Amino acid sequence: MIDALVSLGNGFGVALTPTNLLFIFIGVCLGQIIGALPGLGPSAGMALLLPITFGLPAATAIMMLAGIMYGGMYGGTLTSVLVNVPGEAASVMTAVDGHKLAKQGRAGAALSVSAIGSFIAGVGAVMLLVFVTPPLAEFALRFSSPEYFLLAVLGITATASIGAGSPVKAILTAIFGLMIALVGTDPILGSERLTFGMTELLDGIDFLPVAIGIFGIAEVLSSLERSYDSEPIRTRLRDMWLSAKDWTACRFSILRGGILGFVIGLMPGAGPTVAAILAYVTEKRFSPHPEKFGEGALDGVAAAESANNSAAHGALIPMLALGIPGSASTAVLLAALVLQGIRPGPGLMVEQADLVWGLIASMFIGNVILLVLNLPLAPVFGALLRVPYEYLAPGILVISLIGTFATTLSLFSVGLTLFFGMIGYLMMKADLPRAPVVLAVVLAQLMETSLRQSLMLSEGNLWIFVQRPISIILLLLVIGSLAVPMLGLLTRRRMERLRRSEAKISIATK
Amino acid sequence: MKAADILSACVMLFLAVVVLISTRHLPYWADFAPGSAFSPFWVAAASILVSCVLVVGALRRQSHPPIDWPDRQGLRRVLLTAGGLWAIVVLAPVLGLVATAVLFMLFLLLVVLRRNLWPSLLTTAVTAALIYGVFSAWLGIAFPTGLLGI
Repeated sequence: MIDALVSLGNGFGVALTPTNLLFIFIGVCLGQIIGALPGLGPSAGMALLLPITFGLPAATAIMMLAGIMYGGMYGGTLTSVLVNVPGEAASVMTAVDGHKLAKQGRAGAALSVSAIGSFIAGVGAVMLLVFVTPPLAEFALRFSSPEYFLLAVLGITATASIGAGSPVKAILTAIFGLMIALVGTDPILGSERLTFGMTELLDGIDFLPVAIGIFGIAEVLSSLERSYDSEPIRTRLRDMWLSAKDWTACRFSILRGGILGFVIGLMPGAGPTVAAILAYVTEKRFSPHPEKFGEGALDGVAAAESANNSAAHGALIPMLALGIPGSASTAVLLAALVLQGIRPGPGLMVEQADLVWGLIASMFIGNVILLVLNLPLAPVFGALLRVPYEYLAPGILVISLIGTFATTLSLFSVGLTLFFGMIGYLMMKADLPRAPVVLAVVLAQLMETSLRQSLMLSEGNLWIFVQRPISIILLLLVIGSLAVPMLGLLTRRRMERLRRSEAKISIATK
Repeated sequence: MKAADILSACVMLFLAVVVLISTRHLPYWADFAPGSAFSPFWVAAASILVSCVLVVGALRRQSHPPIDWPDRQGLRRVLLTAGGLWAIVVLAPVLGLVATAVLFMLFLLLVVLRRNLWPSLLTTAVTAALIYGVFSAWLGIAFPTGLLGI
């Protein structure tokens, strides 16, 4: 524990340099704005801005991108409360009650409790991250190729299992991601695979065109379908004060939301959106006035906002300790590490201690900056929502394409980004989840190399995956993550059938 | 959504077949270790299995939520934007990447989104300045210049 605090102290030394402070500030401000823009989530924003970080030192780049990730959680609240459009998916529950509160003249209270809740939960989650990540990384140093293979598989199957929506579709889109990652040169034998004679594909399909296309371009295209010319509800600085009664009503909601969000964030695939929904539903059960939920419950807003920020921070633990991204945003962060020439994994805490502890320290600083931005300056950011989104969308598209070119210096990559943008748009229409594609592209190489290395070690014997207790536990988790949603699906179908047959009987008896 | 599910499954089935056919010349097993076709084979097999599960599920499900297609105006915006984006890739070698991107912005703001002239010009100028400032001046990226030399 003392070691962790000493390392954190060193991390503050890294994060508090003028350059890093500036880029933390830029990151959280961009996150705040991206979170507030309807139709553009933090993962899309991070992917779009990834090329801009190439000129920066690795630690500075990662601090800035992480700032966008958790800044987005704060920013999404503004649009949800003032316009009734969730700025990003994790603010969907805030839009339900937050906007009702705004209509009742309590926009300031909703924004204030969201900012304070997000801050407390965010700082609490970073404190837990400080103490949980090092022992987990140390434990993971015992992993060898079978465990890495199973861990990568778990990262993908858990996305399907825990994430909202159809698990079958999530697994199918993850397989699509694996197919994308197969293109190029075989990482072990060096043979050409699925390149169809195109020399541009010999190095494989990079993560960046896939992420920028599937998240960024697709989301902007989808948001252009309708006009967002809306008049946000105005709020003033003096409305931002939270009364003692409001604080008393919300303090335990913040605590419950924060803890729940952190636990959900740790699970691969769940992420801030699931955390916010679960925290809202849980809070309704604990609330002395559940009837107010959906009509303007301040404690509902507090719980949902605390949970989504806590989950965004918690999701960093599997990424930093194991090198396994648990959410779309951490997948982009992991890709940023790779692009900076850093190998993610359990060794990261030792090999890149300055970067990891600098990042953790930067999150304390970033949360403080965001609290300041969201309390006294919330009305200023609220005024930014009056700029029509249509003026911003073309710039976002152009900068993302220019950014892709800057990364690869090839127009082929720009075309590839657009191709994945079109696919991402169609996936949105077909209700196919996009995060598993990106997660699979990130995890595919680790998955394939560790699987083939394992089978090489065992000369093709599959028992290698059940020879050590750690791999048995991981294998059971993989099986569980596949079986649980399937069982849930079968139970739901059985219940549906039962309901239908009961309805037929009651009609017949009438 | 039923049609979308079946279509998605068919696309993935097609891709699985493409993967299987394109990697058939590669070794599945090389001496005592998995070969280059090992992973493609299992990924394609998983794709076929899960696609079949999706088709069966879509056919057996009673209620299907409708696809959230945009209205006519929305579809026009999306198609013209997508067309404009592809035009950037095609025209960039001729006109230069930044020049094409600026033209695309003006096309999108004035023709597709029908915004006012002056704010559109200002937005385009700010974006162009940002591109030059960040990518050319700071990161030193040399963009394709084309006939116009910019």
